[in-house]
Amino acid sequence: MRLHLPPGMSAAQLDRALKAMGQIVGDDYVFATDLDRDTYLDHFAVNAEAHAPSGAIAPATAEEVAAVVRAANAHKLPLWPISRGKNFGYGGSAPRLRGSVVLDLSRMKKIEFDAENGTALVEPGVGFYDLYDYVQQRQLPYWLSVPGNSWGSVVGNALDRGVGYTTYGDHTSKICGMEVVLPNGEFLRTGMGAMTGSNTWQLYRYGFGPSWDQMFVQSNFGVVTKMGLWLMPAPEQMISLAMELDQPDDLGWVVDLVAPMRRDGLVQQSPSIGSWLRGAAVLTTRKEWYDKPGALPDDVIAAIRKRFNIGWWSIDLRLYGYEEINEATVRVIQKQFARRTQQPFTIVRTTTGEKPDSTPFSGVPSTFPLQNAAWHGGRGGHVGYSPVLPATGSLALAQFKRTYDRYREFGMDYHGSFAMGERSITNVNQILFNKDDADMMSRVDRMFRALVADATAQRYGEYRTHIDYMDLVAATYDFNEHALRRANERIKDALDPNGIIAPGKSGIWPKRYRGERA
Amino acid sequence: MRRRRSALAAFVLTLAATITMPRHAVAGTTAEEASLTGAQLFAAKCGMCHRAGGMGTGLLARRPNGGTGLLEERGDLQSAFVIAVVRNGTGNMPRIARGEVTDSQLSRIAAYLAREPLR
Repeated sequence: MRLHLPPGMSAAQLDRALKAMGQIVGDDYVFATDLDRDTYLDHFAVNAEAHAPSGAIAPATAEEVAAVVRAANAHKLPLWPISRGKNFGYGGSAPRLRGSVVLDLSRMKKIEFDAENGTALVEPGVGFYDLYDYVQQRQLPYWLSVPGNSWGSVVGNALDRGVGYTTYGDHTSKICGMEVVLPNGEFLRTGMGAMTGSNTWQLYRYGFGPSWDQMFVQSNFGVVTKMGLWLMPAPEQMISLAMELDQPDDLGWVVDLVAPMRRDGLVQQSPSIGSWLRGAAVLTTRKEWYDKPGALPDDVIAAIRKRFNIGWWSIDLRLYGYEEINEATVRVIQKQFARRTQQPFTIVRTTTGEKPDSTPFSGVPSTFPLQNAAWHGGRGGHVGYSPVLPATGSLALAQFKRTYDRYREFGMDYHGSFAMGERSITNVNQILFNKDDADMMSRVDRMFRALVADATAQRYGEYRTHIDYMDLVAATYDFNEHALRRANERIKDALDPNGIIAPGKSGIWPKRYRGERA
Repeated sequence: MRRRRSALAAFVLTLAATITMPRHAVAGTTAEEASLTGAQLFAAKCGMCHRAGGMGTGLLARRPNGGTGLLEERGDLQSAFVIAVVRNGTGNMPRIARGEVTDSQLSRIAAYLAREPLR
C-alpha cells in the first residue's frame, strides 16, 4: 500500500524520525517497506486504507519503549502501541489515525510468576499460549482465563476489557498493578508498585491515594509495559450445566432466572446465552445451507438447529470450585429452573487431575472459534456491536427483537449472544461478512450505525468497539455536553502535549489532531 | 437426570480435545528465540492455528483434498510460497509482520515446512 504520512508530517521528517528510532531499537526492528506497512493493516477492515500505518517499530525492552516515546516527542511522531495486534474485529494492529507508526510490543515476552500467590507479571508480547505453556511446563496449580481467540496478548486483552469463560473471565478486573511509560517517557508504577521494591505490587490493587490502573485501560494516556494479573487456583471440579432453548422468546425468562444467581454470587462465571449461528458458523459455511442473498429464512434455521441438535438459544452455566459446594449449587440452580421448565440440564463434570479437559472453559487457549469469519466464504471477517443493558428479561427480549429486525432488514445472518454480568448484560452482536462482497460491506456499515442509533435511543452504550467506530461510540456518552470526553481530552493534553500516544483511541483526541475526529 | 449432549457441543469438545497441548513452545524472549530450529519456531509462532484444533487447520481441512489440514503433514509446500502466504495473508489468515516473526525466523519455518535445507 502507498505511504500515508502522519498528518502535517513530510516524508523527510518521517524518515528522520524512523532513523532516530533505529538508533534505539536497532535498524532491523524498524519496519517501513510497503510490505511492512501492509502487514500491520486491519485484516478484517471495511476500509483498510483508512487506517494505514506509515511504519512500525518493535522495541525489545521497557527501557527501549521509554526511549522511543522520548524520541517520538522530539520528532512529533504519532505512535499506535499494540501488544500482539490480534484484536480482530476491533482493528487488529492498525492505528485509528492513518499515518501513525505502530509501536509493536510483541517482542516483549517476559513472564514472572508468584506460584504461592497465583499472580503473574507479564509484558505485552506474552500471548495466552505463552502463559499457558509457562504454567503447564512448571506444573503450576493455576488456570488461565482465555478469550475465544486466544492468539492475542494477555495484557492487550485485559487492556481492551476482553472476557473469558471462567470465574476470572472479566479480565480487566483481575489486573493488579502496572508499569506504564507515560507520554513524556517517564516510568510510572501503579498501586503498591509506586513504592520502590514493593513486595505487594501484585497482591493489593489500590496502593495509597488515587488508583490509576483503569486510567490506562481503553485509553491513550500511556504505554503499558508490565501488567500484574491474578490467576484462578485450579479448582477441584468444574461442572457445566447446558440447556437448549427452543423459542426466541425463551431469552426473557432465562435472563430473569439467571440474573439473581449472578447478583447473589450463586453463579460466578458469566453465562452467555447464544443464538444458533454461534456454533454453526464455526463448523460450517453458509453455502452448505443456503445460496441466496438476504437473511437465512426460518426453514434453514430449523435445518441448522436439527443437524446440530441445538436450540434457538443455548446457555451453559459453569461452576468452578470444590465438589461439595458445586453439587449443592447444582441443586439450587435446578430448583430455580424447575419453576419455568421441565427440561433437564445436560450436565458434565470435570475433576481436575482425573479427567483432562482441553477446552477454553478450563483455560486452555484456542483459535478455532475464529473459523466463524469464513461463514460467507471469500475473505471473511467480522465486527461486533456490543451494548450493555440492564439484566432484565423484558429489556433483553426487546433488545433482541430490535436487533433481529435490523439483521433481517439489512439481509444479514443474526449472530447474537447475551453475556450475563453481575448487574448487567453485554449483548454481543457479531456481524459476519465477506470483504469481497462490496454490496454486503456497505450494508455492514449502515447496519452498524443503525444498531448504535437503536441502542442509544434506549440509553445503552457499547463497552468496546472497532477503530472505525470509536468516535461514533464515544459521542453516545453525552452526559452534560460530553463532559467525560472533554475531561479525557484535558487529561490527554496535560499528559501528552505533543499528542504522540494513540491519537483517537476510544475517541480521545489530543489537541494536535483534534480535527481528525470523525 | 442427564440428557444427550447436543451434537454441536460434543463436536466442539471433541475438536478441542484433539489439541495437542501444551505446544511446548519456548515462550522466552526474542534473544532466546534466535537460536530455535524451524520446527521449534513453527510450534511457537504458528502452532496455535496450524496444529491440531487450530483455526488454520480447521479451515484448510475443509478445502478439496485438504486432508487433515495440518501443514506439517504436507509434502507439497515450497518455502517461497510459505513466506509469501505469511507476509501477504490468505483467506482468513492475516498477514504476519516482521515484528512478530523476523525474516530469519520465517526462513527457518518455511524450510522446515518445505522439508528443504536452510540456505
